[in-house]
Parts: sequence; C-alpha cells; structure tokens
Amino acid sequence: MSKLKLASYWAAACGGCDVAILDINEKILDLAEVADIVFWPVALDFKYADVEAYADGYIDVCLFNGAIRNSEGEHVAKLLRQKSKVLVAFGSCAIWGGIPGLANFKRRDDILNRVYIESDSTQNPERIYPQTKYRVPEGELELPEFYKDVKCLADVVDVDYFMPGCPPTAAQIWAVIQVIASGNLPPKGAFIGCSNKTLCDECEREKTGKKVKKFYRPYEIIVDPKKCLLEQGLTCMGPVTRAGCGNQCTSANQPCRGCYGPVDGVIDQGAKYISALASVVDAGTPEEADRIISGIVDPAGTFYRYGLPGSLLRRAK
Amino acid sequence: MKRVTIDPITRLEGHGRIEIFLDDAGAVENCYFQIPELRGFEKFCEGRPAEEVPQIVSRICGV
Ligand code: SF4
Ligand code: SF4
Repeated sequence: MSKLKLASYWAAACGGCDVAILDINEKILDLAEVADIVFWPVALDFKYADVEAYADGYIDVCLFNGAIRNSEGEHVAKLLRQKSKVLVAFGSCAIWGGIPGLANFKRRDDILNRVYIESDSTQNPERIYPQTKYRVPEGELELPEFYKDVKCLADVVDVDYFMPGCPPTAAQIWAVIQVIASGNLPPKGAFIGCSNKTLCDECEREKTGKKVKKFYRPYEIIVDPKKCLLEQGLTCMGPVTRAGCGNQCTSANQPCRGCYGPVDGVIDQGAKYISALASVVDAGTPEEADRIISGIVDPAGTFYRYGLPGSLLRRAK
Repeated sequence: MKRVTIDPITRLEGHGRIEIFLDDAGAVENCYFQIPELRGFEKFCEGRPAEEVPQIVSRICGV
C-alpha cells in the first residue's frame, strides 16, 4: 500500500497546534512509517509553489489549523481544499476562530490603528499602514487584505472533519492519526479526537448542587481543589464544553474557558452557558439575580473566549 | 531584473515572505522581508480581565 500523504497548515494561528502534533514525541517515527508529509511550514521546507504543483486530491489528509484572518488564509484554504481528499479543521481557531477570533469584538480600523500607530513600542509618525500593493524601485510588493472579520475555515471552504482543542491534546492527535491510517473515518462532518460528553461529565470535582450567591475572580478566593469550581463562584465553562482534553484546566485549579467548544447539537456555547448560569444563581428576586450576574467581569469575552466568529453573534456590532 | 520569491519562510512560528531582486549580473540588488499575518492582540486584549491575559497572550506564539 502506498504511504498516506499528509499536510498540516496554519492560517491565523500560534503554532501551538503544530507543536501539539510534534508532542506525540517518538511516535512521529511511527507516523513517518505510514505517511509522507508533503506540506508543513513549521517543520518542513515546502513552498506554496510545491502545493500548487500537486495534482488535485494529491494530499490524502490535510490538518488545517488557524482562523481565516486575511485573503492569504482564504487563498491557501481554497488551495489546500482543492489538493486534499480530506480536510480537517484542526484546533479551535480553524473551527470557531479561537483566540484570534477575539478580534471580532473590535473594529478592523481600531485594530490597525492600535497596532501601527498607538502602541507604545511603535514609532510611525508618517502613519504608514500596510498596503495590499506597494511600489518599490525594483517592482511591486503585495500583502494580503486584512479582513473586517475573522472567519472560520468552514466559512470559506467545505470541511470534512472538526478536531477541537486549543490545542488538541497529543493523545487525541495520535488516536486520530491511527484512525486516519486505518481508513475507518467517521461520517463527514463529525467531530473527532474528543468525546460528546461535557467536561462536567468527566470532572472528578465534587458537585453538591450548591447555588452561587457571588461570582469571584480566581485571585479573590482560595480555591478548594476538590470541589466544583462553578459552585465556588468561578465561571467554569465545563457545563457547556465538550470533553476530550482530560480536564486540563480544572485539574490545575483553573476554570475551564471552553476551548473544546460545545457538544453536538449546541450551536452557541456562550448562549448555552448563560442558560447554565441561570440555573446555578441563588437569587430570590430578578434584581438580586442581576446583581450576582453583573459580578462577572467581561462575560462576553469569557463565554466566547474561543468561539466568537463561529457563534450566532459572529462579532460585536 | 530577476525576482526570487521565498514563500512561505518555513520552520519558524508565523508567516513570512522574502522578495529578492537581482540585478543583471545576478547580484542582490535589494531584498524585502514581509510579514503577511496580523492578528491584533494589542487591541483585542483590551477589555479582558488582567488575570486572563496570560492565557490569551500565550497564543501569540505556541512554538
Ligand atoms: S463546572 Fe467545572 S469544576 Fe464544576 S464539575 Fe463542571 S468542569 Fe468540573
Ligand atoms: S479545561 Fe476547558 S479550556 Fe482547559 S483545555 Fe480543557 S476544554 Fe480547554
């Protein structure tokens, strides 16, 4: 049997997804037994021109991480879609926008202004912004167009599978690689490398059904390492987050921030969390409920930490 | 004038492109380094609680 051809690409990403693949450590040698990697900018020196020269469908599986922030991301997404039999939205940025998706709380011009004019480490008295086309004495240079909004991979191309996590854990990546190598892929559109339970279902912290009179910021309390974080008044997103990470944050006494996204059937993780919160707040009157809920700092940025572009909101107005 | 484009620059975190212009003798006349990617952490960290920022900015570079 000929070896599988694999590719991995990053659009608006941090490289953490690529490093998570490398975190399978020595199993990368087993991977090399069954697969040839034909494009992987973080690790190997293939160019866009190499990918363009591949026949359509040449790549068996492409793991695409990162959000679509600019025209280059969209262009490469379309190129890799054309060249790949199976395209996986790999990691939370590709699926819902991820941390770069927080930019949808801001306006495009405010971002450019902050970065290129206002930031303390910038000296730009001529107020020069990046241009999509720029003439230099030797010819013309081009930069991609910085879009108004961050988009998800599935907004610009057809996606076969979704693998959540910021980043997906190495154990889940290895499990998925084995499934890919076996050829027994699930039905198109499935979420892979995760569970369909919630993080709460897999959490070992003790839940007593205690209601919350006040929400705290983590530094305001000494966290009990055995008890449910939400019942202690921390905004843990466990009730609305898909299990699969091995409860990494909650095991470290940190509330979950929802990076594995919602479970199947939930279209808006943040909205679902608001309804989950309603059932834990201990308020006798609507005014008291208001007071308790308004103790949560930056609710939108917390409940949509990894998924604003992929949510029903998509962006702040 | 000949133009050599290195796109993308690989084996580093992030996105980069190099445009090299050669003169008729084949020597480098000029060279431009471009960074096509911008995410805007400088702006979208505004409004986030201070204690959340370490987890957010750790996604500037995960390499
Ligand atoms: S809310 Fe958080 S701490 Fe509580 S059970 Fe769910 S995942 Fe665990
Ligand atoms: S606990 Fe939540 S935020 Fe932390 S890694 Fe798991 S899913 Fe992501």
